[in-house]
Amino acid sequence: MSGRQREQPLRGRLTGLALIAPALVLLGAIYLWPMLGLGRMAFNETGSTGAMAPALSLATFRSLFEDPFTLETTWNSVWLSFVATLLALVLAYPLALFLHRTQSRFRSLLTVLAVAPMLVSGVVRVFGWLALLGDRGLINAALMGSGLTAQPTRLVYNYFGVTLGLAESLMPYMILALLAGFGRLDRACEEAAATLGAPPWRVFLRVTLPLTVPAIVLGFLLCFVLAMSAYITPKLLGGGRVFLLATEIFDHAITNANWPAAAALALYTLVLVLLLVAAYAALTRRAEA
Amino acid sequence: MEQPLAARNHQCALTRRMSHLTLNRLSKRYGETVAVADVSLSVARGESVALLGPSGCGKTTTLRMIAGLIQPSAGAIEVLGVDVTQVPAHRRNMGYVFQSYALFPHMSVAANVGFGLDERGVGRSERDRRVAAALSQVRLEGLSARKPRELSGGQQQRVALARALVIEPDVLLLDESLSNLDARLRDAMRLEIRDLQRSLGITTLFVTHDQTEALTLCDRIAVMHAGRVEQIADPVTIYERPASRFVAEFVGRSVVLPVERSEAGLVLGGRPVRTAHPVPESRALELFLRPQRIALAGPETEAGAHNRLGGVVRSHVFVGDRLEVLVDTQAGRVTVETSGAGAVAQPGDAVSLIWSPSDTLVFARAAP
Repeated sequence: MSGRQREQPLRGRLTGLALIAPALVLLGAIYLWPMLGLGRMAFNETGSTGAMAPALSLATFRSLFEDPFTLETTWNSVWLSFVATLLALVLAYPLALFLHRTQSRFRSLLTVLAVAPMLVSGVVRVFGWLALLGDRGLINAALMGSGLTAQPTRLVYNYFGVTLGLAESLMPYMILALLAGFGRLDRACEEAAATLGAPPWRVFLRVTLPLTVPAIVLGFLLCFVLAMSAYITPKLLGGGRVFLLATEIFDHAITNANWPAAAALALYTLVLVLLLVAAYAALTRRAEA
Repeated sequence: MEQPLAARNHQCALTRRMSHLTLNRLSKRYGETVAVADVSLSVARGESVALLGPSGCGKTTTLRMIAGLIQPSAGAIEVLGVDVTQVPAHRRNMGYVFQSYALFPHMSVAANVGFGLDERGVGRSERDRRVAAALSQVRLEGLSARKPRELSGGQQQRVALARALVIEPDVLLLDESLSNLDARLRDAMRLEIRDLQRSLGITTLFVTHDQTEALTLCDRIAVMHAGRVEQIADPVTIYERPASRFVAEFVGRSVVLPVERSEAGLVLGGRPVRTAHPVPESRALELFLRPQRIALAGPETEAGAHNRLGGVVRSHVFVGDRLEVLVDTQAGRVTVETSGAGAVAQPGDAVSLIWSPSDTLVFARAAP
């Protein structure tokens, strides 16, 4: 009998392993293996002709860290991702709260509509923003047509345009993350606060907002990581005037054909994001305790 | 807690004869569905009234309208003669204890209880003093730093009660507040709430589907059914003189027997039967008896002015605190409740069932 009792956990563990094996194999093949290849590539050398030669050299990393442009790009990426995520949060929160609360029979339809932009290609959405924000776009046409401005206002191909476009592209993810986290929000708690004399804005500040902090933490984390790795939106809305880590990696790899530099910058970005996420997790855990 | 309450009592002395809380033809409709229909109720200062009924009868909707959590479709709510129907919940000064307690999970017990005082701009030292007083009132001293999730169900219930009482509400509203506790704890809390309510002299409305809770806790009971109030009366009247068939069936156990109307009077199982109460006009009638009001006697016993029905004992059911004797009669099977003490008729024995005309209630038969 004791033998069977000891067998049970082992069999349970084997079943678990068998169930996650396909996912592990897939991740290993399409994620871990290429990442290892990327890691190896970063230590190769680039000859004067631009050709890559196999080597075990730290030269690429040295030039990466010696270049002041790396720090500037890092700051651009982190700050822009932070602002875009914050903007997405502020815009998505009321929407998600409404979707969570509504008794409407169109609730599922409204939820699908709120995340529908995910169904449209990022490129198409970027062109939508260009049609709105461009020098000859809707907004500038309205501003100049009404005589408010004589010259077109630069709304795109700068950090402002990229932040706006990025925030918009993050909103569906933010809404989904917030909706998933709003489960802890109990309507009765808000009603209790009201019966105790709290006007609606006080109920929001003292009950609703604190109870949705886990949802905010989750949504912010998810969207920040997505923003750091976003490429299409910064590339097209930045118009070559916005310098971020993701666009720099692409330029190194494709434009300059400097694969070791691209690999080193990609690894650097990965470590940076992991560190930021770890710091964020530690910070929120301490705040919760 | 004592001082402000005394002051309030003095102030209320002027309005003592006035109703403290008045519901005037209160109604709530959701589209075609009527949740609450024409509920009128007048509660005196310090009185406790139960809204008793099965789930879906509109009792919680009524309570939520009083608190201002739901806007009524029609009718008015008055507190001390002032119409508060349009006043938002946060300006009504009602203490509401939710069924789920609705404690703020991110706040300590003390912060939960102090919430309403913060919103009233009560100073820090005054606030701390009143929170401590309220917590000692519900015997929770020493737990003020805990989070709600670290408390047992009974303790959470007490925090919810303290939180509602500390604001010195005009009316205390309790929504199925005991239903989440186990039976033993429920009995203890019931007595505790009653003592607290009486000693504070606070006007209280209980919503419950538990008749024991309503009968033991409250000065008066409003039995609700399908959005309407069927009867408002003190517990004894509700139990002894139910005004409708629904009330008779919902409150307490009943023996229900078909009864016919003849020219001479009512006929039960071929024998005349008397009632001290009015008989409805309806043709199909039913007779309601409380099982513990029926006496078992020998087969040839003279009933005198009482009603008598002969039968044969079929079986016994032992229920612990009582013995139920099932008797087959010509009118149908009757359950008689006895204490079980002394000689009890055995299965197969011929017996007489004897009861008073004043315990005999007749209602129209329910539609099949």
